[in-house]
Amino acid sequence: VTVHEAPPTHTATTDPSGDRGPARPQASRLPDIPGPGETALTLWRRLRRMSTALVLLFALAAASVVATFVPQEPVIRSTVADWRAGEAGPGAGWARAFDALGLFDVYGSWWFTLLTATLLVSLTGCLIPRWRAFARNVRGRPPTGRNLDWLTNHTVVTTPLGAGEALTAVDGVLARRRFRRRRVGAQVAAERGHWREGGSLVFHTSFYLILLGAVLGQTFGFRGHINLAEGSAFADTRIAYDLAQPGRWWNLDDHRGFVVRLDAFAVSFYDDFTPSDFVSTITILEGGQPVRAEEVRVNHPVRHQGMVIYQARWGMAPRVVLRAGDRVIFDEPLMLSLAEGRGWIWTGVGKVAVGGGGGDGEGGRGPQVALDVVLLPDAALTEDGMPFSRSPEPKNPRLIADLWVGEDLGLDRPVPASQFDRDAGQVVGPPAILAPGESVGMANGALLLEFPDLQTWSGFQVSHAPGRWLLVLGGTLLLAGLIPSLYSYRRRIWAEAHPDATSTRLVLAGVALQRKEAFAEEFTGVAAAVEAAVAHPVLDNQETHG
Amino acid sequence: MVNAELAQTSNTLFHAAFLLYIAAMIAYFFRLAFTRVTAEGGSAGTAVGRRVGYAGTALAVVGVVVHAGSVLARAFAVIPPRVPWANMYEYSSLLALAAVAVGLIVVQRRLGYGHLMGFVLALAVLSMTSALLLFTEAGPVVPALDSYWIKIHTSSAMLSSSIFMIGFAATALYLVKDIAERRVAERSGSRFGASTVGAASVRSAPGGLEGPPVADLESEPETRDSRDVIASPLAQRAVLSPVLFPVVPFVAVAAFTLAVWRAPIAALAAGSVAALLGTVTWYAVPHLPPATSLDNLAYRTVAFAFPIWTFAVIAGAIWAEEAWGRYWGWDPKETGSFFTWVLYASYLHARSTHGWRGRRAAWIGVIAFVALMITYYAVNLWVVGLHSYAGV
Repeated sequence: VTVHEAPPTHTATTDPSGDRGPARPQASRLPDIPGPGETALTLWRRLRRMSTALVLLFALAAASVVATFVPQEPVIRSTVADWRAGEAGPGAGWARAFDALGLFDVYGSWWFTLLTATLLVSLTGCLIPRWRAFARNVRGRPPTGRNLDWLTNHTVVTTPLGAGEALTAVDGVLARRRFRRRRVGAQVAAERGHWREGGSLVFHTSFYLILLGAVLGQTFGFRGHINLAEGSAFADTRIAYDLAQPGRWWNLDDHRGFVVRLDAFAVSFYDDFTPSDFVSTITILEGGQPVRAEEVRVNHPVRHQGMVIYQARWGMAPRVVLRAGDRVIFDEPLMLSLAEGRGWIWTGVGKVAVGGGGGDGEGGRGPQVALDVVLLPDAALTEDGMPFSRSPEPKNPRLIADLWVGEDLGLDRPVPASQFDRDAGQVVGPPAILAPGESVGMANGALLLEFPDLQTWSGFQVSHAPGRWLLVLGGTLLLAGLIPSLYSYRRRIWAEAHPDATSTRLVLAGVALQRKEAFAEEFTGVAAAVEAAVAHPVLDNQETHG
Repeated sequence: MVNAELAQTSNTLFHAAFLLYIAAMIAYFFRLAFTRVTAEGGSAGTAVGRRVGYAGTALAVVGVVVHAGSVLARAFAVIPPRVPWANMYEYSSLLALAAVAVGLIVVQRRLGYGHLMGFVLALAVLSMTSALLLFTEAGPVVPALDSYWIKIHTSSAMLSSSIFMIGFAATALYLVKDIAERRVAERSGSRFGASTVGAASVRSAPGGLEGPPVADLESEPETRDSRDVIASPLAQRAVLSPVLFPVVPFVAVAAFTLAVWRAPIAALAAGSVAALLGTVTWYAVPHLPPATSLDNLAYRTVAFAFPIWTFAVIAGAIWAEEAWGRYWGWDPKETGSFFTWVLYASYLHARSTHGWRGRRAAWIGVIAFVALMITYYAVNLWVVGLHSYAGV
């Protein structure tokens, strides 16, 4: 205890005796100004207080409210873009303010990290002394009681047994109720309910495990997305993924290098056309040899060599062939995506630079060609002649293709895969409408467009998250600690024997730190059990040993 | 693949249960109005009140049976049968069923607060009203929900929400009763001018994560506190504003309904029910158990529901890993449930922190319940996220 912890009035009055110890400097008339170390100590103490932890918890809650109602960039990027552009949300000005405060990525913002760190420091500062005290309490033996008659829960039992026998009987009763006991002189002291504090400590400590698991998963983990048309394959390497999100310490050679081939993808529908199941049939190959054949479904990922393959997306993939005379200039399944808000209409783009392989005198550059494709899986016409799709199932598929030609449609420039520079080209001829197996000449017969068959594509997420066992362990400990911390309660019971000539007077008393009502009931039960155990000497023996 | 007949049966039974609950609620309120509360917190009813109370219990029990029938019919109306909690209509309906069932078994039978069941039934009726607003025809589930985790995650979330609902009723009633007791004590100008109930609640608090040091383990003097002072039960009603009690719930519930559903008539109806409930609360104040008991009931229900909610959140994270490839992505629903969890954790911590016990902790409990409602309704209906498929 430092001298500065005395009340402030103390320094204002001169100490009349003046000899409070040689270490104490001559009393100054100035009030004590806490030094930096002391301020830090005060702050540290304040940080460790439960009320500080409460305030920090509220701040955490407030942050998550913001994150619920302000779109979060890692979750829905497009909406955030709309907010920034002022097309949605409160306006572009507000969006700039939100950006400055990091509100579009609350959980990645510096202040959220700071908040979490402060909470963790506070928790640590609180937990270390509590763990120590807990260890002391658990190792210690139940203390003896004094003035038992003063306690709220107390009762007196008179028994014909001698003091020693009576206490042994009480000891037996308490042992059956799983109390920790100690016999001191004419007293049995018993204690139970360390699990309340122990559970609470386990509960709070499990957060470190969960946090550690999450950080491990983030830094040593990997997540990638890949779309595959039926029949195609990809190798687990960085360049294979359409989108890769490696953790900071995920290395290129951490990729396993196995090959995943999508053999087939099937989607089935209920009567109301909501999808009922998505199944990707895959083959995993290592060193060119197939090692596993699996089905990937929603809620049923496939694990291989620590990498987990999830069913994430799907779509229609019409195979499209474009011929210029005898030469095939394009032959690929086009991975189409569902046009938003237009029923079951799939759209996509196929792009090809016609002169690419030519090698003429003009540097190999010819016109660029793009196919703007619409697919109706179950095509029909509305009453006013507009094409639409009756259902999502490919019962009557029709491919509608517009041929765009231009000198520079942006195929060499970084344009999103599903787009091209429409301003730089023009539509040539009327749109082609094809059923599977059909073909049609385009651009006055210069090009032949074929639609051999309709396939599907499947999108996978492939991820590796180490620390998984830490998360599961943390979650289990969290629950395992929480329950005793809420329901268990710390209590002590004492029995004191006062023998006289013919009988022994047993004073039984108890006290609980928590859940006093529950304890009152328990105490009544203990008292009744003790009374029964000490009633007759013979019965007593049977009770204690049986 | 829907058995239309069974689906229709389910709807009919739902409406029957709805009416039964309303009748039971009225009976329970009648019983409450004929209950006298003694200073010890015991209660005694008049003969008529008791008889009507039995009728209310009977109605509620029949309501639960009918309601369970509705839920089962709904589950088997879809071929193959599936869990009957795959959309908001079904979830809201089950929420009400679980609240009434838990109320009857735990609050009434085990804890003996049967005369409070009217309020539990009222919340159940409100939940069923929201179910009616969210009505969806019986149908199969999308693949994302087709996992055994829906049985684990959704049912535990639902069960804990229904218990939180009961906890909210107790917390709100505690606040009202506490304010009334305190004001009566203040106006009677007695030596109990300060916090009468605060002191009482500190003493009977079942404790929290941190108890006082063991050295403080002395027996406390058993004093009966100031409730003997209350001159007449009606004094408690007189100190509370008869205007605020209907107006505040009306505005809150009507605004919430209007904001979430944009349905003015439904908002008006729900607001009126809430206003009625507010008036009933105002009228019932003298008949309520002492604030300490209510606080205790609130704590016990929340402490009961909190581990289940924790489990639901953890199970949700595991399911998310299986379905979406990540445990936690701060999707609005995940954020909302975390937010609710933090607030209920704060409530439990506040209950064991000096300076936060009593009314302050209770307000946190109220906010936590509002957070739960926002997480459930507003996030599903307003905010686009991965859980949106679970929408209407």
